[in-house]
Amino acid sequence: MSNRKTRHGTGVRKAFSWLWMIIGLVYFFLPLAATFLFSLKGKKGVLSFVAYQHVFADPKFLKTFGFSLEMSILTVIIGLALIVPTAIWIHLKLPKAKPVIEFFTLLPFVIPPIILAFGLIRIYSRPPFAIVSSPLLLVAGYVIIAFPYIYKSVDAGLRAMDLRGLTEAAQSLGAGWLTLLFQVILPNLRTALLSALFLTFAIVIGELTLAVLLAWPAFGPYMALMGRNLAYEPAALAILSFGMTWGAIGLIQAVSRGRPGQGSNLGGTH
Amino acid sequence: MKKSAFLVVIALVLGAAAFAQSTSTKDMNALIAAAKAEGQLTVIALPHDWVNYGEMIQKFSDKYGIQVNELNPNGSSAEEIEAIKANKDNKGPQAPDVIDVGLKFGPEAVAAGLLSPYKVQTWNSIPNDVKDKEGYWYGDYYGALAFEVNTDIIKNVPKSWADLLKPEYKGKFALSGDPRISAQAYMTVIAASLANGGSLNNVGPGLQYFAKMNKSGNLVPLIAVTGTLASGETPITIEWDYNALANRDKLAGNPNIAVVVPSSGVVAGIYIQGISAYAPHPNAARLWEEFLYSDEGQLIWLKGYGHPIRFNDLAKRNAVPADLAAKLPPSSAYAKAVFPTLDQQGQLSKAIAEGWDKIVGANIQAK
Amino acid sequence: MTAHPERGVPATGPGAAPERPGVVQTPDDPGPRGAIAKRAPRKWPLAWLGLVPFLLFVFAFMLLPTFSIVTGSFEDGKGNFTMDNFVHLFRPDILDSYLITIKVSGATALLGGLLGFLIAYAITLGGLPKPFRSFMATFSGVASNFAGVPLAFAFISTLGRVGFVTVLLRTVFGIDLYGAGFNLYSFWGLSLTYTYFQIPLMVLIITPALDGMKKEWREAAENLGASPLQYWARVGIPVLLPSLLAALILLFGNAFGAYATAYALTGGLINLVPILIGAQIRGNVLHDSQLGYALAFGMVIVMTISILAYSWLQRLSSRWVK
Repeated sequence: MSNRKTRHGTGVRKAFSWLWMIIGLVYFFLPLAATFLFSLKGKKGVLSFVAYQHVFADPKFLKTFGFSLEMSILTVIIGLALIVPTAIWIHLKLPKAKPVIEFFTLLPFVIPPIILAFGLIRIYSRPPFAIVSSPLLLVAGYVIIAFPYIYKSVDAGLRAMDLRGLTEAAQSLGAGWLTLLFQVILPNLRTALLSALFLTFAIVIGELTLAVLLAWPAFGPYMALMGRNLAYEPAALAILSFGMTWGAIGLIQAVSRGRPGQGSNLGGTH
Repeated sequence: MKKSAFLVVIALVLGAAAFAQSTSTKDMNALIAAAKAEGQLTVIALPHDWVNYGEMIQKFSDKYGIQVNELNPNGSSAEEIEAIKANKDNKGPQAPDVIDVGLKFGPEAVAAGLLSPYKVQTWNSIPNDVKDKEGYWYGDYYGALAFEVNTDIIKNVPKSWADLLKPEYKGKFALSGDPRISAQAYMTVIAASLANGGSLNNVGPGLQYFAKMNKSGNLVPLIAVTGTLASGETPITIEWDYNALANRDKLAGNPNIAVVVPSSGVVAGIYIQGISAYAPHPNAARLWEEFLYSDEGQLIWLKGYGHPIRFNDLAKRNAVPADLAAKLPPSSAYAKAVFPTLDQQGQLSKAIAEGWDKIVGANIQAK
Repeated sequence: MTAHPERGVPATGPGAAPERPGVVQTPDDPGPRGAIAKRAPRKWPLAWLGLVPFLLFVFAFMLLPTFSIVTGSFEDGKGNFTMDNFVHLFRPDILDSYLITIKVSGATALLGGLLGFLIAYAITLGGLPKPFRSFMATFSGVASNFAGVPLAFAFISTLGRVGFVTVLLRTVFGIDLYGAGFNLYSFWGLSLTYTYFQIPLMVLIITPALDGMKKEWREAAENLGASPLQYWARVGIPVLLPSLLAALILLFGNAFGAYATAYALTGGLINLVPILIGAQIRGNVLHDSQLGYALAFGMVIVMTISILAYSWLQRLSSRWVK
């Protein structure tokens, strides 16, 4: 009796899941398809990839993408170096501080990038901290913007592993802090770290306001410039940037799949 | 060596045309040397296809060997002003040397102490009513608002403002900007107003016109860009004639674009140049202005379909090549063009900003 | 007995140094207790030192720059102190603007939240094949940041007047979307577009919570004769509710600050606060940057309230899922 119920229940559940999955897929796919179709109209009357050719023929495309890639790597390194130890510290030693730190990591949602940019210029254009012409200032701004995403990923990862237990076990076996960090905690955080990496990558690649106001040749402003007075190339660019971001994240999914207890969910399992 | 000789020739020619010179040839050479020593010029909000700035920048850079650093090509006039303000203490590459902004920003910038005065060699051939007496700002080019129509989709090209209200154009027209934000857009409202009984003191009819257009469904509440023009989402829009013509050329038939100056309600707008008071490269900035206002520079703008401010002077001296003149819209179209003055622009734009939501946007609220 | 940060921990009684893991308090043993009592006051401030790099960075690159600009909201055009900008915030058209921004954010948080939940459910508990999960996870990572002009243009190309779907429906199915009253350039059109990055964000946030739903609970409920509906109503939703609400608030914040998509799609015709700010700071007409900063300050206030509510709900929810 209960077997039948369970089987029926599972059947209904599956149908329900398929329904929403399909609705979701249709909703997400259609706008991309429409953009793609439009990007193929670069030549009148036929479908062609000429818009894509124009994009690739422009040296600025790869140059700006490369620049943003560099910036995203720096952002990830600095962001993780800042947040991972802090998150571990809070989990282990200072749970009281969690709400405060979380507040600061969520605050960037609220600050309009134009205000952050103007503020950074104003503060850092005067000696002794006149770093306004250094790309590191741009990276600092990006790190701030990426805070919510990096923190969420790392936090979820830390919650998924038994941090206290692992720490105590390692310490009782005589491990020092560095060993603990690099050989116990970080390996278990791999998926979380990688998801933080790719969320940050997606953000930095497309970021516009900070790059424009701080005058850096980034990919976001390049896309905006193309979108200004061209018709078909912006659509091609949108598809390309979507695809490249997808490829990068897909890569990490492939690499991290199959790790016990991690699942392939961004942000780690709970 | 050749470059200095060429410059001497220009200087002499201009000297013969003008009564008084602001700078002598010797000063000009000194300026060039000083500018070259600075080695860089930072400009802002100059898209390459806006009155052919692409060629202007390239020619300047090649001629003097000065590297041009281009900021925020999509920036608005306001953003240029904000950039000067934000970078007052900053001598780095984020600080603009020169700005090209709408007319009404001139006095505002002067009042805020953001500009430094300079009179180019050809100062006297710039009409008096489009420059600041002390040389803080000076008109550079102008154009008239024109309909930009995707003729692959619209077979019957509208010729007047009244045409746009016809039912055949339902869901076909969009502004090229937000009238509360963009100069091109609020000038459009002024133009519509003039065609419907308004004046340069009263923009009410313009707002009513767009309210009517919105109600009839002819107005698409989207900002028209080249993409939406080409896709057919907004096959009719209004832009400065130089922008529309440049678009037409760039799209090269995919799709076909017609540029039509409306039969009535023709508004012309002037942009102005200024040198930032906090310019990191003041000499390069001055040299840039000299270049812009030289015959060579003015003709580069003409090539981009903009009317350079010294157009009348050039025409008088037969300095305009015939083929270039042929590419412009017929001068008869400009005969009726109205140039709103500073004060008028200020008042009208404010009235538009305040009235737009109430009168036009009233229908497009959350349900 | 509570530990006072300044005066340290009392030497006697239970509750001395409650935060020290792995240390057992035994009232009968004066030795360790005495030692703990001496060590605790010094350890506590030391622990906060570990947060210094983070806090310093936050101060230097977020708080200080933001503060330096937002003080502009207390000035007039000439630099004199004034509260006028904040008084202006209470103008009916500006209040309307906050209202409609809150409405859009709320609507897309609910819409994106609901659909995101259903999709997250489908890939976790819903019994779909494994590949869907990694696919959705990847897609969510990408799509959660697909916003701005490309997104607006994608929706225009799909559901605009000559959009691909609009035309398809008209030519193949004879359905005239716009004739029936649909309009992409409206409140609901904008909400539909925002949902594109709201759903992925929801999926990313709620999946860990769904993973924490123990199978045993479901089985126990079924053994007791509960129908699926009863299970969800009595067990599932109550357990998930704090996480759901917290996620909703995050989605709300995400939409509240969005600017580029709205501007590209509705050309400023829908009066959202970020667009107003843009109009003041970058606009060629109104250009009252001080008012712009005040508007931004107002946004910070609204968001801070949401974030506080979120933090509170987050604390509630973590008690359930262990």
